[in-house]
Amino acid sequence: MTAVLEASIVEQLVAAIAPVLGEANVLTSKTARYSRARVPAPFPVHRWAERVPDLVVLPGSTEEVAHVVRVANEFGVPIVPRDGGTGLTDGAVPERRGIVVDVKRMNLIHEIDLENRTATVGVGISMLKLNEVLAQHGLIYPDNPASYPCSLLGGRIGTSGWSLIGSRYGHSRDLVLSFDMVTPTGDIIFVGDGGGRKISKSSSGYQLKHLFMGHQGTLGIATTATLKLYPKAEAEFSAFWAFDDYDVAYKAVGALARAGIATFAGAVLFDEKKVEYLRRDDEAYIPQPESVKALVCSVGYGNSDEVAAGGRRMMRIARDLGARYMGDEISQGDWASRHDRYATPVHGRTLSGQVALMSWHCEDAAINYTDLPAVTREWHAIVEKLRRKHDVFDDWGMFAYTSSDTGVDYLTEIDIGIWEEKLDDTTWAAFVDAKREIAAVSLKYGGSISACHGSCREGEVDLVPQELGGGYDVMLAVKRALDPNNIMNPGKYGLDRAYDNEGDRR
Amino acid sequence: MTSFRYQDEYTTPPARQITPTTIERFEHVFEVDPSLMTDNVTQQVFPNWDTKRIVAARWDHLAWIHAHFADSVISGEELLRSLDD
Repeated sequence: MTAVLEASIVEQLVAAIAPVLGEANVLTSKTARYSRARVPAPFPVHRWAERVPDLVVLPGSTEEVAHVVRVANEFGVPIVPRDGGTGLTDGAVPERRGIVVDVKRMNLIHEIDLENRTATVGVGISMLKLNEVLAQHGLIYPDNPASYPCSLLGGRIGTSGWSLIGSRYGHSRDLVLSFDMVTPTGDIIFVGDGGGRKISKSSSGYQLKHLFMGHQGTLGIATTATLKLYPKAEAEFSAFWAFDDYDVAYKAVGALARAGIATFAGAVLFDEKKVEYLRRDDEAYIPQPESVKALVCSVGYGNSDEVAAGGRRMMRIARDLGARYMGDEISQGDWASRHDRYATPVHGRTLSGQVALMSWHCEDAAINYTDLPAVTREWHAIVEKLRRKHDVFDDWGMFAYTSSDTGVDYLTEIDIGIWEEKLDDTTWAAFVDAKREIAAVSLKYGGSISACHGSCREGEVDLVPQELGGGYDVMLAVKRALDPNNIMNPGKYGLDRAYDNEGDRR
Repeated sequence: MTSFRYQDEYTTPPARQITPTTIERFEHVFEVDPSLMTDNVTQQVFPNWDTKRIVAARWDHLAWIHAHFADSVISGEELLRSLDD
């Protein structure tokens, strides 16, 4: 556990930062610090105080971010970027305390280029707010996480986010063309495909954009980004089908994903446990007959005539496999609700069936289509074992969601209810062991530990070197080269091992 | 003009068991069976108008989401019928 900074050091930090950012943008109050100590992923709340930052700053420009980073280097104090704070792998959690850089003030739209179809914005903007403005021009920035109303662009860059409609429009890495970046030493660099701010494909130089996306705040802080825009869809089509059998539903989701429909934006497979979970208190599924054992959803976006043609083909594929269409009300309502899954549910049940106030944890992986059934079985077995041992966990079922337009791999997720109030060191350790087992299954089947949420947390992070092999050594070398003082979000991804003992202290 | 009468608003219609774990008091508004909310979580007391308001607000929100992402929504029921034409 990292000790809190001495008050005199905090005072010196404030004295060095406040003249540039303004006193109002340097926060030391308990409320400002404690509210930036966690993310939605459940954790042992009795240890909340271990990860509270010493200081919170709200810079308003790239230059102000660079100033803060240089001060942090001068004092050797950890620095952690925080955007929406909606990530599920603790990227924004200040594990070693220090300075949290909250980017929310950098939320301006600097330019909308209607001819080249780009927008240049501060990373503190949310996709929802940006799209409200873009809609006035008939445009949309189609990055669509389940945290759509509350996550911010900078977090999408730092985590290399996954999008619900990524099979149609691509994910954050495809939609962000370029950005300004403050490196861990306080230098300002431009990152894109080649040197142009609005270039989607370059063959000039190393392709650094992927390196500076998905680093979970360990390689710097993005500040201003240029984004690729699309026409706002004329039409949306979303269909939910019910199946009596998981295996048939599995065939159907594969057939839909492989159909080559141009407007196809994603398909989702819900397993039997997920249906059981939805029957608890979801108005759409409570009245469904007991014969319903699995669900498939498929969606399309685009021009009206193209979406209608694609939707008709989807309906035919599903009908030919014996699916039952669940009707427009459920199909349209449930799809709309997928854009906003961060409303904390109270769907937990103890083994006796009593309701308990549980938080949502989702363990995810990237799994090939052919391995979905086996991974589903093994993950449920792990969670069932955990639940039988500790009645503070609950299996909320699984879904598998296409990541691309060909159906090659799926964001595969098991949702686990966690009674956070009841977590203690013993149950937390059991949970971490289960997470490690879940990650090991993903690797056993040739998948990746995470398609979406990241792999920084206790448990799965232990297996990242195994997953990446020699690539992990490159990560260590890059980290050491760019962040010689190990101040940028230290403790994440096991990157301390890139340093000698001096670096390890942080 | 609406009126609020305490006794009316805090008297809920009789419950109908929908599944072993859920009940229905208002049409299409399902609730977890109160017998499952005794040990760890207890049910909040809501005036009837607030229950209805929450349900209506949910539909408003979903309609807003649709409009946010696309200008129109294509009916699957109509597409399904067209397969037989």
